[in-house]
This record gives sequence, structure tokens and C-alpha cells, in this order.
Amino acid sequence: MFEYILRLLPALLSGLEVTLKVFFLTLVISIPLGILVALGRLSKIKPLVFLVELYIWVMRGTPLLLQIVVIFFGLPIVGITFDRFPAAILAFVLNYAAYFGEIFRGGIESIDKGQYDAAKVLGFTPAKTFTRIILPQMIKIVLPSVANEVITLVKDTSLVYVVGLGELLRAGKIASNRDASLVPLIVVGVFYLALTAVLTAVFQKLEERYSYFQ
Amino acid sequence: MRKSLKTAVILMLVLILGMISLVGCSNEAAKQEALEKETAQQEPAAQEDSFEKIKAKGKVVMGLDDTFAPMGFRDENNKIVGFDVDLAQEVFKRNDLELVLQPIDWTMKEAELNAGNIDMIWNAYTITEERKEKVAFTKPYLDNRQVIVTLEGSDVKSKSDLAGKKVAAQTGSSAVDAMNTEPELVKSFDGGEPVLFDTNNEAFMDLEAKRVDAVVADEVLARYYIKQKGADKYTILDEDFGDEEYGIGFRKQDKKLLEMVDKTLDDMRKDGSYDLIYEKWFGK
Repeated sequence: MFEYILRLLPALLSGLEVTLKVFFLTLVISIPLGILVALGRLSKIKPLVFLVELYIWVMRGTPLLLQIVVIFFGLPIVGITFDRFPAAILAFVLNYAAYFGEIFRGGIESIDKGQYDAAKVLGFTPAKTFTRIILPQMIKIVLPSVANEVITLVKDTSLVYVVGLGELLRAGKIASNRDASLVPLIVVGVFYLALTAVLTAVFQKLEERYSYFQ
Repeated sequence: MRKSLKTAVILMLVLILGMISLVGCSNEAAKQEALEKETAQQEPAAQEDSFEKIKAKGKVVMGLDDTFAPMGFRDENNKIVGFDVDLAQEVFKRNDLELVLQPIDWTMKEAELNAGNIDMIWNAYTITEERKEKVAFTKPYLDNRQVIVTLEGSDVKSKSDLAGKKVAAQTGSSAVDAMNTEPELVKSFDGGEPVLFDTNNEAFMDLEAKRVDAVVADEVLARYYIKQKGADKYTILDEDFGDEEYGIGFRKQDKKLLEMVDKTLDDMRKDGSYDLIYEKWFGK
């Protein structure tokens, strides 16, 4: 049994590589984008608010799987063609930026309005007020919600199979079909659990670092 | 209903487009250029034979579901192997074309083909009337039966013995279609319909757990699983749910490529190399 699992590892690890690539790229791009989405939603320019709200509605209102299919198979019809991997990343980034945007908006709105006045009195520009005063406090507030999304993202990466990318779960299914056995799927489950354990630990450390009021 | 669906799709496309330009993924000029390039490509692609383009590139792309043992799947070194893969390698080697294997999601296969992401579908692709409307098929290259598999020593010896028993198959497989051509028999099953699983693997595991009495599946698949699990455990009944044929699917306009593959497969049957590959995967 142990030997069999060892033999499964190379294929599963190469699946894990794709999973991790999708995971990190999505995270690195969608979090800054999420801040922009939050700012857009809180902006005073009405048409921008409307557009951002529409975007959030569509991204949260349709299945991510459908969004990947539309971007990879639908966009070529109107003349925009992406490769498999960029198409998947684009779909993930657009989808997750919408969720992150709403989380960040909540974080920003929960900060007392008096702080803006105080910053103004102290001579902070609006940009400085946001980056130096609002943003750090927002991060502290939204960390638990972000952790939730990030862990969901780990498992959502398995959806890229629809554009033919061989990620972790697909690698497991292939081995399972080939060897007529459930063991590969169980090993895949352990992989996901390990990833989630690492992420949980990282977010715990982050929360400790930001718990400066206690 | 239809119209609102269409509006929703268009709305979504517009939004995604809006986001792309908003994010600055592509500047106006590049987008315009891409659009022109695409329309320039797409127009002729609708009718034109892509044979010359493939020849010039020296590469041909085969789309397959890499979970489908023994026709196309990954071995322990993560290499894509299988009966269809070996056959295709030989066919294109003889025509001085490099074969690129592109894993795809099986439900998206015709979309992949018509978008030009792949040049052919070659993966135990059953020839059916519905599919003939969308793709051009080669001559059949392999016969298949929908066989009935039971555990060794089962009291199911013939098709009529299936009455009152539980019968399993894969969802959306041609096994289900084949069974449905005999609705009376299906109604006599325990539960009045087959028990459907996502993969054949699960159907076989259920058979082994004795929760179902028989599995109906593609013969090539069934024989592969039986070989994996030990031939003495299972019996394949003499009676079956009918014959079908596997073909290779091309874009309708790609006649030259199709003829080339058909001709090479004929040659391979004559010189015995087809039989060698057949024996490697299915035995005598």
C-alpha cells in the first residue's frame, strides 16, 4: 500500500503544481484588484458605482465554472482568444476580486468617520489617509473573512479541469480510473487538508500580528 | 425564456469585456488588432480545409479525455498512453506530423474542436447520428459492444435474468442509451431504471460491494477493469445490449486530414501493425 502511494506521488505532485499556480496567481492579482473594487463601490462617481455593482452581481451571481467556460469558449466568438491557463486565471481573478471587494468594502465602512476628519486636521492627503490610516485597520478587520475566501479558493482551483488543465483532483481521478481504486482520491484529500492546515496557520500568525489592541 | 437567456449571456460578455478594459489587461490598439486578426481567421476557418496550415506547422493536435483508461489515460509517470494514443502516434509518424496530445474536458469536446483548439477528437468516440451533425467521422476503427458484467457465480446468466435485479451504468454513457432501446427490460429492473454512477469505476466498485447485480459498459472498458481486478472475479455474459463503433471526429471542412487518417489506418490494418497495437492493449 505504502509503495503504491509512493508511485502515485509524481503524477499528483505535478497536479499540485498546477493547483498551486492557479491559487497563488489568483490571490496575488485579485487582492489588490479587490481593493480597487471596494474603492469603486464606495466612490462618489455614480456611473462607476453602478458598473462595479453590476460586475459584483454577475461575478457572485453565476457559477465560477460557467464564468471559466464563457471566458475560454465564449470570448473567442467576439474576437478575444486566451490560452487555457490565462483564461482560467482571468476567470478566477475576476470572480475572487468581486468577493474580496465586498469584504474590503465592509472593512472600510466599519472604520469610524471621525478618523477621516482627524486625518484632515493633521494635514493628511486623502490618499495618505487611506494608505496610512484606513487600510491598516481594514486589514485587521477583514482578516478572518479573507482567510475563509482563501481556503475556499484552494478547493475551487479544481474547477480548471473544464479547460483541460490537469490539476490535483483531476490527477487523482486519472489514477483512480486507471487503477480501479479509491486510494488516489483519498491521497488527494490529504493533500488538500495539508494545504488548508498551512493556510490556517499562516492566517493565525497574521491575526496575532495584527492584534495590537489586546 | 430563450431570449432572456441570450440577453443574460450577452450582458455577461459585455461585463467581462468591460472589466478587461477597466483592469487594463489589454489596451485599445492591441484589442482592435486581436479582433481584426480573429475575424480574419474565423471567416475562412468556417469553410476552409486546415490541412495546409497543419502541414506548415508540422503538428496536429489530438483532443482526449486523459481519465479514460485504456483508450487514453496517464500512466504512473504521468505520460499519456493508451490504445488510441498508440494508434494515433503511428498514424501521424507515417505522415511526418508531430502529434500533440491535448487533455480536454469530455463534455466540451465539440466546442474545443470547432474553436480550433484541437484538430480532432480521438478517444473511444462513438459514432452517433447526433454527433454526425456536428463533426465528420472517419471510417469505424474499432468495434465495441455494450456488455453485461456480473460477479462470478451470479445467478444472472442471460439478459432476461436481469428482471428484478439492480443494474448499474455510467451517467450519459452509450450503455444507458443502449439499455433504453429495450424499455420493457429496463422497467423490469429493481427500481425500474438503472443505477447511474459518475464513472464506470464506481459502477464496478458497487458491483463488487454486491449492492448491484450487474454493470452494463463498453466492452473495451469492461475488459480493462476486469484485467485490473482479476479475471476470475467477473463474468461477461454472452448476450449484450448491441454493437457500436468508434470513429475519429474532425471538423467538417477538414476532409483532407480525415482522408489521410482513413488511408493510413487501412494501411496499418493490412501490414499488421494495427493488430500489434490491439494485442498490446486488449490481448488476443
